[in-house]
Amino acid sequence: MNFKIFLLINLFILFLISSASALVIGSDEEEIYIDANFSGKNLLVFGAFYSDPSQARDDKSDILIEVVGPSEDVVIRKKESFFGFWLNSKSVGFNDVPGFYYLSSTNVITNKFLNENNIGLLNKKDTQLIDWSALNIDWGNVKNQKEKNTFYDALIRTKESEDVYRKVNGEIEIIDGNLFRSYIEIPNTVPVGQYKVNLYLIIDNKISNEYSYNFMVTRVGIEEAIYSFSKNYPLIYGLISLLIAILIGLSGAEVFKRFRKV
Amino acid sequence: MSIYLPIAELSVNIILLLSIGGVVGFLSGMFGLGGGFLMTPILIFMGIPTNVAVATSANQIVASSISGTIGYWRQGLVDFKMGGVLLIGSFFGSILGVWIFSRLVVLGQIDTVISILYFALLTSIGLIMLIESSQVIRDRVRRKTVKRKIHYHNWAHKLPFKMKFYKSKLYISAIPPIIIGFVIGILSATMGIGGTFILIPAMIYFLGMPTSKVIGTSLFQIIFVTALVTLLHATTTFAVDAVLAFFLIIASVIGAQLGVLAANKLRGEEIRALLAIIVLGVATKIALDLLVEPKEIFNISVIRAFF
Repeated sequence: MNFKIFLLINLFILFLISSASALVIGSDEEEIYIDANFSGKNLLVFGAFYSDPSQARDDKSDILIEVVGPSEDVVIRKKESFFGFWLNSKSVGFNDVPGFYYLSSTNVITNKFLNENNIGLLNKKDTQLIDWSALNIDWGNVKNQKEKNTFYDALIRTKESEDVYRKVNGEIEIIDGNLFRSYIEIPNTVPVGQYKVNLYLIIDNKISNEYSYNFMVTRVGIEEAIYSFSKNYPLIYGLISLLIAILIGLSGAEVFKRFRKV
Repeated sequence: MSIYLPIAELSVNIILLLSIGGVVGFLSGMFGLGGGFLMTPILIFMGIPTNVAVATSANQIVASSISGTIGYWRQGLVDFKMGGVLLIGSFFGSILGVWIFSRLVVLGQIDTVISILYFALLTSIGLIMLIESSQVIRDRVRRKTVKRKIHYHNWAHKLPFKMKFYKSKLYISAIPPIIIGFVIGILSATMGIGGTFILIPAMIYFLGMPTSKVIGTSLFQIIFVTALVTLLHATTTFAVDAVLAFFLIIASVIGAQLGVLAANKLRGEEIRALLAIIVLGVATKIALDLLVEPKEIFNISVIRAFF
């Protein structure tokens, strides 16, 4: 749908329901296709919100955009020095963690707010109020809380260095007081699967309205075909890999023989 | 220009990939080596995951050992019976090797174990080559020729299950070749090498095979070991990258041909000494990666993704 027409319709709706605050959103993508040449893209999230006109918007209402990627099970391993060698030692398994996480807001949102409203993953590292029960964690032989925190930090840090976890402020653009627009960077390292976008309208430090929708990230192209074939038919895949090697090896010998005769 | 490797899940430069395949192929053609001992660590340095580097190297060695075997077979330098007996051992060795490999992946120790194995292998290869080539150079300067014993008699001739190997003019027990094959199978599956470097001296010194038949026979059995290793890795660790293998194979087959041509025209010892230094350099890099404190002591691996 055309962006401007969409917004006009939404604005019209907003005027009709002028008594309470409202949040209407849209997005330009329902599915993102990643092929071998995919170098990341910007996902457009836009919409309109309406808050009580008697209050000045800037300091009272905020927009919060959260994008949560498909879950995965990961293991964080810690290297320790054994007789001068740096070897993997302790490990912690984090199950059902998002493969992608993005949190964006118009103003700086405090961790206190996020915790109170049970939003977010990234906020938890800065606080003692970590909701460990929300994650299914296999602590292995890591016992004390301080060491547990280092593993939690490492999970966030490694994911941040892969650009799949981000927490930003001020990337949301406000137009004419009641329209917002944000380009969310989707790097090519993101996992495939279903993504959930959660939008919150916050007024006076309270969630006044929220809205969610899903989009898919799919891998396409010959590389994806090879990848899924290798997982689904490993024996045939292995045999084909061998056949290619054998054919090139044989023809190499043949070319070599002729080469020698000359 | 770069290409995306579907199993390694990263993009690499095609020219770089072809150069690596070509150079390793050239060296293997020149010295009659498999080249896996250089290919695997170089792929790991490029950032390709260890398991993919090992499994894909095995696939690449299938092609280069076929090319090589045909050349020796035409000259009647392959002892198929000996190759077959070695294979009995390698069959079980490679199954054990892939099992060990997948256990190490689960335990998160594969990178370390591979590094230590490669450090040991490359250091010994490098030092042996350096000593040997410097001796040859020194002997040449002194205008001496080195005399070598033609035939060895040792414990391999005293064990039971003796078999006649007409091509190699040997009457020895089947046990030593089976054990050698077994060890090569394990190393091939865990390190992604053909194992010529260990196989050739073992066949000469432990089995007493004539030197002329050794290279062809070892290449012949390597075809089957690496083929089995490729299949085992494809079905258990899912780490064979067909796209990566394809480019490496093309480049290494061409490189190997040029290497054989060059070997006829150049003096081997100086280049062999240079190769020894390269090998020791790779070994040093591996050692440093193990010894220097890493910037990030935590690492992450995705065990399972939900689609």
